[in-house]
Amino acid sequence: MARMSRRAFLSRSAATALAVSGGVLLSACGERDATGVAPGAGGPQLASPENPVTWPVPADAGRIADGMAPEQGATLRVYNWSEYIYKKVVQDFEKKYKKYDVKVQVSTYGNMDEAVAKLRAGQVAFDALFPTYDYLGKLVQGNFLRPLNHSYIPNIEQVWPAFQNPWYDQGWNYSVPYTIYTTGIAWRVDKVKDDIAKLPNPYEALWDTQYRGKVGILDDYREAIGMTLLKNGITDLNTANQDHLNLARDQLVALAKAVRPRVNTNDYIDLPEAKTWITQAWSGDMVNAQYYMPKGQSADVMRYWFPEDGKGPVNSDLIVLLRTGKNPVLGHLFMNHLLDHDVAVENMSWNGYQPPQNKLNPSELVSQELLPKNLETATVLPSYFDTGYRYLELPGEVDDRWHAAWQEFKAGA
Amino acid sequence: MATRQAPPTDRPPGDAGPKLPHERGARRASARAGVWRPRWFWPAFAAPGMAWLVVLFLLPFYVVLSIAFGAVDPLFRTPVPVWNPVQWNPFQFQLLFDRIFGPGGFLGPAFVRTFVFVAAASALCLLLAYPVAYYVTRYAGRRKGLLLVVLLAPFWVSYMMRMLAWVNLLESDGMVNRFLVGVGLLAEPFPWLAGQPVTVTLGLVYGYIPYMVLALYAGLDRVDQRLLEAARDLGASRRRTFLLVTLPLSRQAILAGLVVTALPMFGDYFTNDLLSGSPRTSMVGNLVNDAIGSPGQGGQAAALVLVMMVLLAVPMLAYIRATGQASRDAGR
Repeated sequence: MARMSRRAFLSRSAATALAVSGGVLLSACGERDATGVAPGAGGPQLASPENPVTWPVPADAGRIADGMAPEQGATLRVYNWSEYIYKKVVQDFEKKYKKYDVKVQVSTYGNMDEAVAKLRAGQVAFDALFPTYDYLGKLVQGNFLRPLNHSYIPNIEQVWPAFQNPWYDQGWNYSVPYTIYTTGIAWRVDKVKDDIAKLPNPYEALWDTQYRGKVGILDDYREAIGMTLLKNGITDLNTANQDHLNLARDQLVALAKAVRPRVNTNDYIDLPEAKTWITQAWSGDMVNAQYYMPKGQSADVMRYWFPEDGKGPVNSDLIVLLRTGKNPVLGHLFMNHLLDHDVAVENMSWNGYQPPQNKLNPSELVSQELLPKNLETATVLPSYFDTGYRYLELPGEVDDRWHAAWQEFKAGA
Repeated sequence: MATRQAPPTDRPPGDAGPKLPHERGARRASARAGVWRPRWFWPAFAAPGMAWLVVLFLLPFYVVLSIAFGAVDPLFRTPVPVWNPVQWNPFQFQLLFDRIFGPGGFLGPAFVRTFVFVAAASALCLLLAYPVAYYVTRYAGRRKGLLLVVLLAPFWVSYMMRMLAWVNLLESDGMVNRFLVGVGLLAEPFPWLAGQPVTVTLGLVYGYIPYMVLALYAGLDRVDQRLLEAARDLGASRRRTFLLVTLPLSRQAILAGLVVTALPMFGDYFTNDLLSGSPRTSMVGNLVNDAIGSPGQGGQAAALVLVMMVLLAVPMLAYIRATGQASRDAGR
């Protein structure tokens, strides 16, 4: 349950994430002036690949000095999505720093709102957090984050170059990458006759009445509306154009009437259990789905489609350190631990989500048995981050209009 | 053992002895006889209940109001309650009314659907529960206690577990379909879980029927058997006795049963999420749940809750009026 709400919230929070007023940001940050400010001065500034953002680092933000020793006998408090980190990976960290008598305590949340509410209440001094990238601006602006000291995190070299200087956090002042994933369509070849990937417009299959009652749509307003936009050839997944939103809304309402979809984030359970035959899906969830196949059935009936040209939704999650944390040195070391190739791969073997590791050759995923052959398409390629589309934060007013369209779909009008 | 038995009396069977009205009279008499109590003594007994109401109902209710009429945090888009009513902003309600009644008001169907589902489910609950409660009170005899325990047994399992069990039973290849196809009632499996209003309605019935049984049992058990005997003695048939005596006397129990089942059904979203999950069966509870989970939509959730409360206040007031009338009738 918690896991599904995690996925649900990924894009939900994307919607509301980075609404950063240009004025506030610029006043806080001198070096930002040169970088892109969205047209229409005074409007909200959005971090995007075209408008990369360097978040300010105030002198009193608590960046630690070089070469400090790890805290002795400390309890590192990690705050993460449910079922998003492998217990063994955490235990390995404790073993690695055994002489400092380190304990790691993982607390979990179901969505970013819940996490932020708890952080704002300030009762627990968490050291590390795993936000979606669209939430980063809010966390920086709310003075929640501790700027990173790169000297403790040499393993950053192990991740894809694009993530060593990402557009959402230029110079990685505050964040390191955790996982990456695409959004596509998954189906079962034993139930669906067509080869969805070969259809001229695979998205249209979700509207096909022959799958009535067996269609899954992600319970996530950004993903569902975004998919409908893509179906119509509209590639601005952060659109403020009301005509586009109305089009998506009408088509989603029509979809609800035509096929009575299951709207949830159980794609990784519903497909293996044949509650759905065709579903909108996250790549990482499909990697996980093989473990949910009923006993005695082979997982090779599942397929995953993401546009071959990489023109589909592709997103990522992060790790950050919190300013209230009592163990900043261990926090840095924990980050470094998770960025290590072997550790990251071990983690993926459990949670299904691919880390952006250089040495993790996408074609190796199958041979390493991290991915079954039939789901090779769930591999996230570095090139997708050049060709694909992101769910960026929307300005509040635009976000409200996205929500209104979504609410109309959810209300079954 | 013998000392435990009630002394023989000349009271007719079924009369368990002095009831509250007599006792109350007796107490008043003793008060008049000189046991002095300060004026606040008896009202003070209501204090814990009042405190409970204030802390757990009135204050939270005020918070909901303050959020519905409140603002939104500009950075995190969480609802910000506005405590001063002078500064309340009716924006959320204008938006909501527009979405219910305005042109293209897409929330209207969800409201209508909610009322239809709840009305159908409550009626079914009543139809199913009445004979059960009637049997337990009139014909169960020594097994009355056992039967009540059995009826309450579903309460021992959490609501969520019971619904999840139904999800398995109602699968395409689940037991229900296998049975119905096996005995030839269906030609092929029925897609129960594919956004079917009938599944959601039956789910509501299943989830809330124990409340109805209990309310009816409590009411029917209090019906004076002597009245039924009198009706039969005076020549009324079994059917007429039921229609003219039992049914009118259980009217209060029926109303109470409808209230305790229908009110939670109106707020239910879980049954729908588990047994359908399709927008085609969305109820108001689902809309509230969705809005609460969406940044910037907390105000809409609060407004939906308040609108629903106002709508439900109408039948609730009718119920209170009917109960008041009944107790006045009884007092005559």
